[in-house]
Amino acid sequence: MSTSPRKRPASEAIVAGGVVVLLIVIVALVFLSGAGQVLYPPKPATDRAQEITQLYDIVFAIAVAIFVAVEGLIVWSVLRYRRRPEDVDLPAQTHGNNLVEVLWTAIPTVIVLFLFVISWQSLNKVDAVSADLTQTVRINAIAGQFQWQFEYLDASGKHLATQTTPLAGDSGGGMAVPVGKPVYVTLTSDDVIHAWYVPRFLFKRDVIPGQLNHFEFTVDADEAGQTFHGQCAELCGTFHNAMHFDVVAMAPADFDAWLAKLVEKANATPPPVPSGAPVLKVEAKNIAFDVKTLEVAANAPFVIDFKNDDVSSITHDIQIRQSDGTTVIQNQQAIAGGTEQNYQYSPLPPGTYTFICSIHPVPNMTGTLTVK
Amino acid sequence: MATHALSPAVPAYRGGLYEWLTTTDHKKIGIMYVINSFLFFLIGGVFALLVRTELATPGIQLFTNEHVYNEAFSIHATVMIFLFIIPMLAGLGNFAVPLMIGAPDMAFPRVNALSFWMLPLGGLLLLAGFLTPGGAAAAGWTSYPPLSEKLAQSSPGPGQDLWIAALILIGTSSILGGINFLVTIFKMRAPGMTLFRMPIMVWTMLVTSVLVVMATPVITSALVMLYIDRNLGGSFFLPKEGGQAVLYQNVFWFYSHPAVYVMVLPAMGMISEVLPVFSRKPLFGYKAFIFATAGIGALGFSVWAHHMFTTGAVFLPFFSLMTFLIAVPTGVKMFNWVFTMFRGQLTFSTPLIFAVGFLTMFLIGGINGAFSAAVPIDFALQDTYWVVAHLHYVLFGGSVFGMFAGLYYWFPKMTGRMLDEGLGKIHFVLMFIGFNLTFFPMHMLGIQGMPRRIADYADPSWNGWNLLATIGGFVIAISILPFLWNVFISLRNGKIAGDDPWEGNTLEWATSSPPPPYNFDRLPEIRSERPVFDARHGLVGHGGHGGRDEEEAPMALEEGHRDSQGPTA
Repeated sequence: MSTSPRKRPASEAIVAGGVVVLLIVIVALVFLSGAGQVLYPPKPATDRAQEITQLYDIVFAIAVAIFVAVEGLIVWSVLRYRRRPEDVDLPAQTHGNNLVEVLWTAIPTVIVLFLFVISWQSLNKVDAVSADLTQTVRINAIAGQFQWQFEYLDASGKHLATQTTPLAGDSGGGMAVPVGKPVYVTLTSDDVIHAWYVPRFLFKRDVIPGQLNHFEFTVDADEAGQTFHGQCAELCGTFHNAMHFDVVAMAPADFDAWLAKLVEKANATPPPVPSGAPVLKVEAKNIAFDVKTLEVAANAPFVIDFKNDDVSSITHDIQIRQSDGTTVIQNQQAIAGGTEQNYQYSPLPPGTYTFICSIHPVPNMTGTLTVK
Repeated sequence: MATHALSPAVPAYRGGLYEWLTTTDHKKIGIMYVINSFLFFLIGGVFALLVRTELATPGIQLFTNEHVYNEAFSIHATVMIFLFIIPMLAGLGNFAVPLMIGAPDMAFPRVNALSFWMLPLGGLLLLAGFLTPGGAAAAGWTSYPPLSEKLAQSSPGPGQDLWIAALILIGTSSILGGINFLVTIFKMRAPGMTLFRMPIMVWTMLVTSVLVVMATPVITSALVMLYIDRNLGGSFFLPKEGGQAVLYQNVFWFYSHPAVYVMVLPAMGMISEVLPVFSRKPLFGYKAFIFATAGIGALGFSVWAHHMFTTGAVFLPFFSLMTFLIAVPTGVKMFNWVFTMFRGQLTFSTPLIFAVGFLTMFLIGGINGAFSAAVPIDFALQDTYWVVAHLHYVLFGGSVFGMFAGLYYWFPKMTGRMLDEGLGKIHFVLMFIGFNLTFFPMHMLGIQGMPRRIADYADPSWNGWNLLATIGGFVIAISILPFLWNVFISLRNGKIAGDDPWEGNTLEWATSSPPPPYNFDRLPEIRSERPVFDARHGLVGHGGHGGRDEEEAPMALEEGHRDSQGPTA
């Protein structure tokens, strides 16, 4: 350090100090006014999300403090030490200072070790799983291009029923969970990597073929009746952006009733094919229909015997749309790979229609249905 | 000084196209690296604008379908990382390193030419994907299998194979370049240039080259395995046939995390040259800075799995700890830089402004990265726009701002002419504003839950931030125009630079601008990391204090003074 610092006019120091104070005031105002909320996670909806939010509080506070301190130091140095025309002499040629260098190595080390320890403790709670899985609601989330299915399991892990359709809205997957009860989720995929992500749970986990991932959470009791939007968060192909699902939180009694109904529906025998109705055959494989044209008589019901030959995580359906793109028949439940179902369609007036897989609206899964 | 014979007759580069196509001169190769990388920067930028335009409002407007969107962002990232940032920094290093250590050229000049010529070839192979059925690679720049495998619903087309071939070529170019740098730095230093008198830029290129030589063969193995899976019946990454999908991610990130340091260390080296020169002070804590650089390089090999926290397949506490620890040497550097300016005499030429831009923005890139180092928070942030914000604050706010600092700093040395200061400042201001408009809102989008790599979004609360980011993207694009115009007019009518327009510290300023093919007629004595400063001022800068008392003559800005003080050893 120089032993004889040149006397400088104070004006630059005042300007620099003023700007630094202004910076601090702006940051403070942003947070006091609530505008800083946009840098904050959404309201946590689960016990694990509460845990993560608490950790976020601490990390965020330290981050803002470091941001203000270091940006302030940069701004101060830039404004204060501008070279003036009369600065012909070199400034003090400071090569370093062991004390401050040790300090600015040691203090950040302490800070990051502290952050590591608290995040590790938090991680242990977030990743914790019930020792006794029979006390949990067990769900196997099946991800496939580009649809979610949610398979409900009994206490011993045996299949009960699978929810393949949305519970809210008209596309994507639906997952019902009870509030206040631990939910144990396993993740499986048969095709590519996906990720199960619900922003209000502050949580995601990859769904990796050949690997069984799992996690657990308990939705807060006061969230009953809420719907949480979820989405695939790992690029999985063309319609990655459309791979949505909803998590519907129900009071435990409502959930039990809902699940009982789902199981009942799954075990019911499918309605017989109406006699006399023509049966068309369509197969799907490698995300493509085997036929591109179908023909049926006008104003008469008909049946499509639909077989899905893709891997089990990939679901398909057959919607019928008018030439302007509006859907005329869409109430067909998507079926998983390796299964077959008779889709029954109500009579259509004469005309040319499009049949299409609503989950994969690509040319390979689009055909022409002629009704005459 | 003897090299004055070539100055001020500008330009000194002789020879026509044939000479440039066949040259082994590290300066010409460096300049070709810079031009080639800049062209790919423009190409990558066009893809970025396409992506941002699509995302400006919800719905699919610009692209015919989502697959084309996936191609656009995959090629944007691949081009920016492998064909812009890495080769741009390597190119500036190629130009500067032999000059900075007082060498006549790189150790292997022909290998150097080979390294360069692989790049345009690799780039053309990559872009040729657009001409193939199925289009270019669309599985992201990370190309995780099974999505990048040759399955009907994944990446059946040859675009993905071209992506693999291009990356192997570019990787080979990097390895050859890295070996060339290592041998040059270890074997070609001028007498007196001990390791601890090397400019920081040379140190960062040294550590970068170690990373390149150690890590690049690993990604090459991942690419070869993927190629075998796709074309030769392999099943390395296909679980149904006994492979493991996550294996690829481990191998890929074992290279690609160190690659982040390959992309940022040379930029750190550049601002570590710029800040002392424009503060008229030595770098604060020269040795600590070197140890921090080596520390980052070493720790950089133990953090790769922080890209994989949500896979459920890595040991989380270890990688979290190492990731937090890497903040320490990075913080040391930040303080070194700030304290270099502290109590200095700052001249706000464009290189310094870009270097300060680096400091302010890279700081944000470090802080928002700490959120992801905390594993539970990363469960929320991974694969959202927060990560997109983070990586751009590091690679754009850090590498690109540092790269422009280096480009403005060495342009006079490369061409013999100064860039226009006014246009340079317009460039900076527009780019700084555009950069923050584009990437800061991505923090908000990410924490609110918008995943990356989606062609469309449905949450109306994301509309405003997305539109703002798109506007910012166009401001960045506009900011490039004054830069291009600046280069164009300055090459013709720019002020003659002279040997040492900035009062530089390092040896490249002791020769003519541009330097002769053999670089130096004679070298000043090298007794510190600032030989040209010593030649100009005597050894006033040593001994922990200095300045006014010891200095025999005031260091004026007027011409002629430097000549009398010039390197005449």
